[in-house]
Amino acid sequence: MEDRPLEYDYSVTRLFLIFAIFLGITGMLVGVLLAWQMAYPGVNTFLGEGLAEYTNFSRLRPLHTNAIIYGFVLSSVWASWYYVGQRVLKVSMAESKTLMILGKVHFWLYFGAAFVIVVSLLAGVTTSKEYSEFEWPLDLGITVIWLLWGCGIAGLIAIRREKTLYISIWYYIATFLAVAMLHLFNNLEIPTYFASGGVGAWYHSVSMYAGTNDALVQWWFGHNAVAFVLTTPIIAMIYYFLPKESGQAIYSYKLSLLSFWGLMFVYLWAGGHHLLYSTVPDWVQTMGSVFSVILILPSWGSAINMLLTMKGEWQQVAASPLIKFMILGSTFYMFSTLEGPIQAIKSVNAIAHFTDWIVGHVHDGALGWVGFMVIAAIYHMAPRLFKREIYSKSLMATQFWIQTLGIVLYFTSMWIAGITQGMMWRAHDQFGNLAYSFIDTVTVLHPYYTIRAVGGTLYLIGFIMFAYNIYKTTTARPVEESELQNASPMGA
Amino acid sequence: MSIAELQSYGYIVALVFLSVALYAYIYHLYVQRKDSDGHDYEDYSNMALKDDITDTPVSEKSKKK
Amino acid sequence: MFHWLEKNPFAFAVVVIVTIAFAGLVEIVPHFAQQARPVIGTTPYTTLELAGRHVYIKNSCNACHSQLIRPFKSETDRYGHYSLSGEYAYDRPFLWGSKRTGPDLMRVGNYRTTDWHENHMKDPASVVPGSIMPAYTWMFTNEADIDTAYAEQVTVADFFGVPYNEPIPMKDGSTKIIKMGSDVAEARAMALAEAKLIAQDMKDQDVKDAVANGKIPEIVAIIAYMNGLH
Repeated sequence: MEDRPLEYDYSVTRLFLIFAIFLGITGMLVGVLLAWQMAYPGVNTFLGEGLAEYTNFSRLRPLHTNAIIYGFVLSSVWASWYYVGQRVLKVSMAESKTLMILGKVHFWLYFGAAFVIVVSLLAGVTTSKEYSEFEWPLDLGITVIWLLWGCGIAGLIAIRREKTLYISIWYYIATFLAVAMLHLFNNLEIPTYFASGGVGAWYHSVSMYAGTNDALVQWWFGHNAVAFVLTTPIIAMIYYFLPKESGQAIYSYKLSLLSFWGLMFVYLWAGGHHLLYSTVPDWVQTMGSVFSVILILPSWGSAINMLLTMKGEWQQVAASPLIKFMILGSTFYMFSTLEGPIQAIKSVNAIAHFTDWIVGHVHDGALGWVGFMVIAAIYHMAPRLFKREIYSKSLMATQFWIQTLGIVLYFTSMWIAGITQGMMWRAHDQFGNLAYSFIDTVTVLHPYYTIRAVGGTLYLIGFIMFAYNIYKTTTARPVEESELQNASPMGA
Repeated sequence: MSIAELQSYGYIVALVFLSVALYAYIYHLYVQRKDSDGHDYEDYSNMALKDDITDTPVSEKSKKK
Repeated sequence: MFHWLEKNPFAFAVVVIVTIAFAGLVEIVPHFAQQARPVIGTTPYTTLELAGRHVYIKNSCNACHSQLIRPFKSETDRYGHYSLSGEYAYDRPFLWGSKRTGPDLMRVGNYRTTDWHENHMKDPASVVPGSIMPAYTWMFTNEADIDTAYAEQVTVADFFGVPYNEPIPMKDGSTKIIKMGSDVAEARAMALAEAKLIAQDMKDQDVKDAVANGKIPEIVAIIAYMNGLH
């Protein structure tokens, strides 16, 4: 044992945090490119005809979704876990060599996998299942990485000083367990190379499920992978970062208990809402629809708890751009958890399904709730990781407003686009013939696609400002430990 | 009794049970200020607020091993 | 009541997993008791069609095109009869998609031809003015992976009993046999024979030459796949 006082060890957090920013820029850049491709198809060949195969919308689309969900978000979640986990369990990773090694192996394997995934998706190696596009060798790799994280959680909990697990820890544990279960069942597949005695591509596999069953498992996964990567760990983050940054205790610890168990029970049922009017049994569709509406309760339970935490302290929202990110994030969470159930009502879904409204819904959640919360978490952690004040408060405020404008442009244009398209598809003239050919419903969307692309570009610009701000923070004015108690120190 | 009939009875029983359990739980949380260890529930919020490694844990893990 | 769980991480984890697994058990497991049963007239994919399906997947066509016709008049008017569960019995993975940036393709074989697809894949906007679909010119030069398609056929026949080389009842009361090669060489030869029929209706001289020389460009495979979607 060394004789200097025990401190939390943030070396793993730092790695994940930097990689998260890098992956965020990558994923958002690809997203912006896709948005411009839909508005102006010429952008598909922006690197010339020769490379068109790799710059084309359909190859880049899985890259965008995966880089954001499993890159940017997951890396940030892990950065926050290796930070929050130590703090609320009151134990330092430095106390266990094994945990330090586990953490570092976890990061470097993930780092390596990220590059293999980028290459494989660009090459078109995909199973086509949304958010689960990876072929079996990568599925195995992901399982290993996931289990390493699980061992890290279990290890840290085993040596904790605080007996009771804080709210955030519940959500991290739920994330770990649920994604493990979903990943395993959705990726049950048979490698054809081995099954056929060595014919064809070695990495190719065929799903264990066929047709409707495959769809059922895929959307049970698809819906809940979104839930347990884009919702529960983000709730874990806000339950720690908002009280800590504002210095306010959670409005109601009891309410958080209720919302947690409510969310756990209800969420997994709702996957059926992706399959309304499809060939899955009616009762599964009805369950999906009903449980989606019930889901409003636990979701709003958490969101209201967050907003009420600021009770009597609303001047902080005006004063601190960091708090602004979290409060607007919670508001967007309420908004998209209301919008989702509305879209899951069968008669609304008849119009909304297959349209851009769904894309809009995903992005209110991803840009408004997840993106903002991750940005806030990183802003809160950075001064503590580098023992320096945040480089610029005004830059942070500017970023906030630019990104907010970007989100508003994004979801308003996608609402209009989605409903326009849904209504035009179903319109009949007075003789009972279809009123519009399909292409009419595409060309009409051009202005909305353009507005969306502008919105996305603004969000990306804001994110680059964020990356710059964090980069400059590493060389900003050093601060004392005592300044880090609650509100993060910020330079002009 | 057919499978469908069994399913429907099972559904009703599950529905009633879960509703009762949920409301009982809400009521339990509402009336109970403290948990069985004598900690006020709301004290647990301090796990996030007082989280320096030198701060005293809200409920210390008994030192065995 | 529940605060005990927060102090006992193992019990906590067990309760969480039971709570979240519950929905899956009730909603999904019952369906696996019943194998997917094909409707009359649904046939498994030929080697070339399956290779085409792989091209479709490789290029994420499913990111913009659905293969699911919902039971609404507007959809049946536009795309044909609404989808039946059994029609997907041989689809591994399913390709329903979640977004219709372009139209549904569930029954595209009923109303589009080889010729139409060839022109459309080369330059979509020349066939459908205003189209925002990108061109897929590399499909005319990349070679389709027949071996992997054959490996998949062998796998699904072995593991899931997909009826290759067996009579399959058709709607008109007749039967049809979808053949699968007994080895890779035979599978390649069969795929090439099928590719030649497609290439006859194509105009691109490079593609015709390639097929004449025993090669199968991706475009031929994907057209075979799309022509087979009824």
